[in-house]
Amino acid sequence: MRIDVDALKCIGCMACEMACGYHRDDAFALLASCIVVYRAREKKDYFGVVIKEEESLTIARPEGLEIKRIGVAEEPGSTGQKKEADASAKPMLLREPCDLCDGMKYGPMCVKICPVNAISLVEGGE
Amino acid sequence: MCAASGPPSRFSRKFWPFGDRGATGCHNNGINFYNFYASINQKLARGAEILYGDEEASLLPPARPCPLRVPRIGLYAGSGTSHSWLWFVDLFDRMFFHDVVFLDEDMVKNGVLKNLDVFAMSGGDTIRIAEGLGAEGAYELERFIGEGGLYVGSCAGAYLPLKSSKQHLDRFNFVDIKIANISKTAPTVKQLGRKATTAYGCDYVYHPVREEVRLRSTEKGPFSGVGSFLAPLYGGPSMVTGNASEIMAQYDAFTKKTLFLVDETLAEKTLIGNVAAVRSELGNGVLYLFGPHFEHPHFPIANHLVANAIFWDMKKSSVGGTSGMSEIVLDGAAKRKLVRDIKREISNARIVSVGLEAASVRWTIGCKIYEPEKIRVFLEAIWKRLGRLEQSPRIQISNQTLEEMTPSACEVTRILREVKSRIDDRLETQGIAPHLFDSLRRLTMFCLQTYFNSLLLDN
Amino acid sequence: MDYLSSNKILIVNLESGEITEDELDDELVSHRIGGVGITSSLYETYKDKDPIVLGTGLLTGSLFPGSALGIISAKSAKTGEVAHSPLTLKAGMELKYTGFDYVVVLGKAVKPVFLWLHDGVADIQDASEIWGSDVWKASDHIRRSMGDDLIQTLVVGPAAESGSELAQVCINYWGSGDCWGFGKSFGEKNLKAIALRGMGLLEISEPEDFVDQCFELFEKIKKGSFMGKTGIQDIFSAMGENDATEWILPLVHRNSACYNTPYATNTFLYLSEDPKTLTEPDEPEPGFLVTDPCALLGFKRAGLSAKDAGSVMKACAKYGINPLAVAEFCVKSGEKDPENIEKSLKDLEGPVSVPDCGRFSYWAPGKPLFSNFDASDTSEYGAWWKRRQAVAYIFGIHPIFANMAPELSEELMLEMVNKGTGLELNQDILDKVIEDVCS
Ligand code: SF4
Ligand code: SF4
Repeated sequence: MRIDVDALKCIGCMACEMACGYHRDDAFALLASCIVVYRAREKKDYFGVVIKEEESLTIARPEGLEIKRIGVAEEPGSTGQKKEADASAKPMLLREPCDLCDGMKYGPMCVKICPVNAISLVEGGE
Repeated sequence: MCAASGPPSRFSRKFWPFGDRGATGCHNNGINFYNFYASINQKLARGAEILYGDEEASLLPPARPCPLRVPRIGLYAGSGTSHSWLWFVDLFDRMFFHDVVFLDEDMVKNGVLKNLDVFAMSGGDTIRIAEGLGAEGAYELERFIGEGGLYVGSCAGAYLPLKSSKQHLDRFNFVDIKIANISKTAPTVKQLGRKATTAYGCDYVYHPVREEVRLRSTEKGPFSGVGSFLAPLYGGPSMVTGNASEIMAQYDAFTKKTLFLVDETLAEKTLIGNVAAVRSELGNGVLYLFGPHFEHPHFPIANHLVANAIFWDMKKSSVGGTSGMSEIVLDGAAKRKLVRDIKREISNARIVSVGLEAASVRWTIGCKIYEPEKIRVFLEAIWKRLGRLEQSPRIQISNQTLEEMTPSACEVTRILREVKSRIDDRLETQGIAPHLFDSLRRLTMFCLQTYFNSLLLDN
Repeated sequence: MDYLSSNKILIVNLESGEITEDELDDELVSHRIGGVGITSSLYETYKDKDPIVLGTGLLTGSLFPGSALGIISAKSAKTGEVAHSPLTLKAGMELKYTGFDYVVVLGKAVKPVFLWLHDGVADIQDASEIWGSDVWKASDHIRRSMGDDLIQTLVVGPAAESGSELAQVCINYWGSGDCWGFGKSFGEKNLKAIALRGMGLLEISEPEDFVDQCFELFEKIKKGSFMGKTGIQDIFSAMGENDATEWILPLVHRNSACYNTPYATNTFLYLSEDPKTLTEPDEPEPGFLVTDPCALLGFKRAGLSAKDAGSVMKACAKYGINPLAVAEFCVKSGEKDPENIEKSLKDLEGPVSVPDCGRFSYWAPGKPLFSNFDASDTSEYGAWWKRRQAVAYIFGIHPIFANMAPELSEELMLEMVNKGTGLELNQDILDKVIEDVCS
């Protein structure tokens, strides 16, 4: 099972991010959550959700879902910086991967809290 | 809660190194190793006399009754080291080994080792480390061990004193132990290219697996009573020992978390049954060499063995003296200002580093690869300890650190902002990365040295 | 205060550069609860020094639905009285996590500055490079120079610098609920912006109970009357302005919510890109995020096309002027040409109407939305509205959302605050604070 996000439904409220933060910290904090609302392109109204999983990153963009294996080769970027396959490519390294809220009585908290049902639990996984 | 100190309030517990909510992973069969060592070290620091065999030291294996004392530990953080020395920091912090001196190559060359009981070195780029220490550093290290010092090395720290004819490394042939994971031809790599093999003169050192492996203790001396245990392997050696060394632990099995970089059969041939940890004598001193990172904070039994080895084999007589740096005590407004200035800059730097978290760049420094997330590893190591410095009424700091710490923190923020801005503009950043990591390393040394000095003062 | 709080009140004197911190006393919280209860009390304390007070509610930044609100309390340039305006989007939440519950800004800086609040540290920074620039450029500059795109900025534009009573404190690039001319107060203090970033943590007294109840509440709210509705377009429908819905729909790109607010009260209009575009557009500034339904409606009433209304609102946000006031001028003058309106922004002055809304921002529509609240007086900006706003501003709840979610009762908010803090606040205390802040 894994978490799936329909980024087009998402309204960027960050409730999922805070719920996940609570799961990690037993307090309200955002720094440890493994589901993160991508909101850096504010002027373009371009936002989505990223989930860190054990071996992959699920990137829910408005135009569709992308699952990126952590450590799998990418083409060299336009900066010329080489992006070869490497275990050291661990985006969001310090955040723990999604464990589907293991040990929490609520089940996956992000699914439960999303006000627009943009997040769901789907078959499949790593 | 683990050890005497838990996560500072209003700090994400996930980034407190000592496990979730302060306690996970501390225990083994109901034994909290961290509390055990913390308690011994606290008592020793207060002047209590504790002997091997005493009830309060019952976790230490039986040995000739000799008094324990708090060791003075030098932790190497000089050129070529990666971030893994911070794992030793966590271990020492948690177990109240608070008399720690952070060393770079110049300090080693300048004779600081003579005031230490223990020298610890973790991972990094072995060649760069050897090059940085040079002939003088090699001489100082050999003399330190020969005169009764204890050398604890994991990963690169284990490779360094092994027998080698390679330039720079050939100055450190302290023990008659060879690398088993070496081959005339590069093996076929399954994944993770650069992590799997490194050219080593005309040969190749290859790393068959990464992550968690199971080890088996040979039950000798400080390793008695543990059976099998786990530790993570990140490129450390599998060793072939001569008669002069005692095998302390062997690679025993792989686990579900082991990541295979080469064919499983080759991995098994290279590791299983081979030496993972060794104890070797040199003159009056001892070396402990660990292929895996025994100091990694998520592996309590391996951590326990590091502490145990320290008590078992550290210099027999007290080194006395000081680390050689002139220290001053700051309190009141001066202390508050310094801590605030540092906090400001670490916060500034941390904010940028969190923003870089998902940036798809990485840098090559020497033969190691660094990615933006590593920046945060250094900054979090400082950040989580600032609360303690804020609360302490006074701090102890050397004149040099006092002079350099704030400018060094400002410099880290400045470079980080430049990196961020260049990444945003799709410009290359490889050119500034070495300076960034070097500055980060130095800043972390300054801050953590001040932290440990101040803990000593509070103790 | 150990829970739902950073336990800090920051006092910044821009004139002397002195920065001090006070603890947030349990005693103060027991009497004034929080949010506007405490900002107004701090305002009184420092009244002689012309303070601008920022604050958050005890529920701000938590998992309680709608917990997005931060507050600015200051003397209104328009009314000469203390008034309160909402900080929504992600700014209220960010303020809460900066490590300061309340921030009191006093005095006038000798030269332009911005205040940088981060992780319990407050820095007065030179703003001479951005003084004179519009809100968008200033926000871009701050984010870029500090190296983080998630910094939330409360920024003023040229309107504030020239002393306009219509000047607005904007949030990042967008208009805000500041209809009181607080932009002018910023300008008078030579304060170009307050930049916020915090990565702190809020402890909860009874975490499990608190979160259990949040989840229960979310379940209820998900069955509520506004579910399935979204954005400014549906707020228009709820206000009975159905043709405004039709008017704006062709430009709607996406709707977005303020922090942890189950209804998306903000709508992004694509003005120079196809609103159906899903991929990241090349155009760096393709449109405008409307956060102020009443202002947009105002431009419709003035006879502007939806696209022109969006463009004018974008120009207002850049200039840092209250778009609702500009719309009123357009209605009065009959001006419909966006270029002319834009050109006239710097000359706009004179009184604009202020409804009888007490001290709370009339940016929030004056009636219940989508729901029937069980109240006798739901007349426009009437007693029900004032009380509801007071409660939202005390606890830190999004003021527009508060008007659409009867599930968030006063009793429940009190109960949650007690669970979260371990205090024993009751309805009598709440009534007293409401009475005080409404008087
Ligand atoms: S299921 Fe739980 S752990 Fe996974 S992303 Fe959601 S909240 Fe986080
Ligand atoms: S909770 Fe749902 S709507 Fe809110 S940010 Fe997460 S996915 Fe988007």
